[in-house]
Amino acid sequence: MIQSDMKKTVLHAQQLRKSYGIKGNVQQALRGINLRIVEGEFVGIMGPSGSGKSTLINVLATMDKATAGKVVVEDVDISTMKDAERSTFRCNKLGFIFQDYNLLDMLTVKENILLSISLGKMKKKEVEAKFQQIASDLGILEIAHKYPHEISGGQRQRTSAARALIHEPALLFADEPTGALDSRAATSLLEIMEKLNRQRSITILMVTHDPIASSYCSRVVFLKDGMVYSELYRGSKTRQTFYTEIMNVQAVLGGDHVDPA
Amino acid sequence: MTTLTLRELVIRSMRSNMKHNYLYFFAFMMSTALYFVFATLANDSLIMAATFKDIEFVLLLKVSGILLVAIMIIFVIYANNVFLMRRSREIGLYQLVGLTRRSVGLLLITENVLLGMGALFIGITSGALVSRLFLLILLKLIDSKNVLTISFSSSAAIQTAIVFTILIALTLIQTLYKVYFTALIELLEGERQGDQPVRPRAVLSSMMGLLGIVLIVAAYLLSNQTLGPAFLLQILVILASIILGTYLVFRVTIGWLFYQIRRIKNGQLGLKNSLSLAPIMHRMKSNALSLTLITVLSAMTLTMVAIAYSLYYSAESEARAMLPYDFIFENNEHDANSFRAELESAGLTFVHQPIEAVRLTGRFGTGTEDRHSILLLAAEQLQASGADIVVPGQGEAIWYSGLRKLLSTERNFNFPQVAYLGTYGGYALINVSEGINRYMMNFNVQGSQLIVSEATLADIRQLIPIVPEQEIVHIDTYQIALMSDRAAASDYYERYIKADKYRPSFYAYYKDAHLKFGLTLFIAGFLGLVFMTATGSILYFKQMAEAEQERNCYTILRQLGFGEREMISGIIRKQLFVFAIPLVIGLVHSFFAVKTVSALTLSDISIPAAIAMTIYTLVYFVFAVLTVRYYSAFLNLKFIV
Ligand SMILES: Nc1ncnc2c1ncn2[C@@H]1O[C@H](COP(=O)(O)OP(=O)(O)O)[C@@H](O)[C@H]1O
Ligand SMILES: [Mg+2]
Repeated sequence: MIQSDMKKTVLHAQQLRKSYGIKGNVQQALRGINLRIVEGEFVGIMGPSGSGKSTLINVLATMDKATAGKVVVEDVDISTMKDAERSTFRCNKLGFIFQDYNLLDMLTVKENILLSISLGKMKKKEVEAKFQQIASDLGILEIAHKYPHEISGGQRQRTSAARALIHEPALLFADEPTGALDSRAATSLLEIMEKLNRQRSITILMVTHDPIASSYCSRVVFLKDGMVYSELYRGSKTRQTFYTEIMNVQAVLGGDHVDPA
Repeated sequence: MTTLTLRELVIRSMRSNMKHNYLYFFAFMMSTALYFVFATLANDSLIMAATFKDIEFVLLLKVSGILLVAIMIIFVIYANNVFLMRRSREIGLYQLVGLTRRSVGLLLITENVLLGMGALFIGITSGALVSRLFLLILLKLIDSKNVLTISFSSSAAIQTAIVFTILIALTLIQTLYKVYFTALIELLEGERQGDQPVRPRAVLSSMMGLLGIVLIVAAYLLSNQTLGPAFLLQILVILASIILGTYLVFRVTIGWLFYQIRRIKNGQLGLKNSLSLAPIMHRMKSNALSLTLITVLSAMTLTMVAIAYSLYYSAESEARAMLPYDFIFENNEHDANSFRAELESAGLTFVHQPIEAVRLTGRFGTGTEDRHSILLLAAEQLQASGADIVVPGQGEAIWYSGLRKLLSTERNFNFPQVAYLGTYGGYALINVSEGINRYMMNFNVQGSQLIVSEATLADIRQLIPIVPEQEIVHIDTYQIALMSDRAAASDYYERYIKADKYRPSFYAYYKDAHLKFGLTLFIAGFLGLVFMTATGSILYFKQMAEAEQERNCYTILRQLGFGEREMISGIIRKQLFVFAIPLVIGLVHSFFAVKTVSALTLSDISIPAAIAMTIYTLVYFVFAVLTVRYYSAFLNLKFIV
């Protein structure tokens, strides 16, 4: 704890609330969430289905607006921003990996990856160098000119990751990134994320219902009914030990009702 | 399902469809209206026959009506197909929640019939209102003084109703087929993504792509050639080559070109190209056929309108080139004098000039041994009758061939060349210094017209004895000063024309051409209007379908943080390509077609062609703007025009 306090805060959410529906039939998805993430953390978010994980990550990632509360990313209050500002902010500062990849079908792997930095004023050579670097890190250099439908799910997810990382975001969000992958592809993606987190100290926030996936994290936050239920820090524990701890919390939470999608 | 719920469903889905499909409704309505106008004009054959005497007006209208129906069928089937595709998920969902196929079919049929009947009714009503306007335009075009009253023609209404009921029935069959013969899972998957993108095969596609261009260029070159004796075959080859070439260009060349651009970009495509180049490239395969159709139709429309327009506006100068004199009498001084007396007593201002010409046989031209009839005219005499002409030197002649560039073999002639005149008992040689593609004497006077000086003519007459094949022709020419007097003079002249001889007067010839081409212009413009709306709408509907397929893509882009402005400029670029590619290819096609045809006419056709092309471009521009608007609204992007 002491250690993290010295580090810079990347994201700070205060009293976040989000409700869906119209008067009379309001559904509270988030009911006052406080969350602080410092630079270099790899945070996992777990919880039963319907506990508000997706809602939380969407609000933090500026893809949805909170009903109340405040979100500060790198000292910028994004909860009061206008739509256009949020778009620009998202484009420049944040990266996403989606469960179903969200690649554009008619673009090649390379075109998909480079799309998100097309708006920046980077030089062509620089862009190419960056691409070479990230694609070889993620092992997708050979498939750069293939279309999404020609490659495997794991490769698609790594493409999606490369697209999220190419502009060096302050924060990387991932909503169930391993949800549609088989265990080998999932492990490979998680190892890559762990490596990126360690070596490049990229801050990551990942929603998952899979305890194995969350055992790669440095901290796991458990949600229940739109509120933070508990938190676990990995510290210097082995992944196996951490995994067991996570399983225990989940058993208490009733983690059997995991979100399948 | 109770009846009430079904009715509610119908009303609700119709309301939401009307909002999306107003253009379809409008196009359907407009074609009904236009068809009704056609049917009214064709049915009012009594009035029309009176105006158009011998011209096959009714037949022309009937043929155009068939063309109109043909394009309507293509258009309606296409549009309905797009709508069915858009609604396939809805159709699937109805079935999923327990509606039987029968009731879903019933729902869609009710909806189609109600919409169709509505369009039909409004179409006929507005058709009845505008048919008068169209008639006025037609009468204005042919300068008719007749006041035609046109009443609501119930037989035209019935004819229109029958044709469009058949059309609606076709859409019903199409709809039922979709409901009954498509698996539920396919319906639910709906319009997903279209085709999966594939890389073009390097060698094959560059060869095929090149072949497309080669075919088109070859057709252009061929169309520039003189039409030979087998000119029908030649035209067929040109058409086939153009159509096949156009198809290949759409199917392969454009995709190949876009692929090269993408390769050069090396992954750094940028948002605008990602939203335009990439989807267009991948859809070319499935769109090639309809784009070919659109392009060929556009080219045809443009050519047709340009030709009709220029024929119409050059009718007078064309008639003048054929008939330099208002009236002539050949070797008939008796009739000529009594005609003169009639003109005088009617108080018309005119110039009467007798001309002594020599007709003999001889040969010049292609170098064959064929001898043909030659008419020698003295330039000084023609000058006296008011002709603008230079007197050739001694022993020189100018040939007024009256031949159109395309049909003449003139390009094989070298000037100056020697003409051999006469054969019996001596001949003379004269030097033909140039050929001019008009006539100096009315074209119905027999013989190739060689203009010489009076002195030369006298020499030749002395050299060549008068035998039956070498005669002196006495021609009385009359020029009437005022256009308004020509009608009256023409009436007198008619009486001297014997039934078995073809002796057109300038006035009659011009009037006839004016009427014929006025009618042609009217019908060409009419069809052009329909073709333009139909092809523009088809492109629009195509984009409606593509917007549906690309919806997911725009959601992703939003999530990635792309702003509205950037996405809209991507949409604009895509629509620019979508409309400009068939338009430009169509324009180039029609440019060459018009060029070919212009060789057949004596007057300049480039201005009317340019006007038609500009109008077409403008209309397409409007369609493109409408499409961008629809696209943006569909994707919840704000685009303000
Ligand atoms: N767009 C929405 N409209 C209405 N309710 C929603 C919407 N999205 C989520 N919810 C509700 O909010 C709660 C949290 O959902 P979600 O964040 O998707 O949970 P999780 O991702 O943890 O499964 C659920 O009860 C869900 O029904
Ligand atoms: Mg979720």
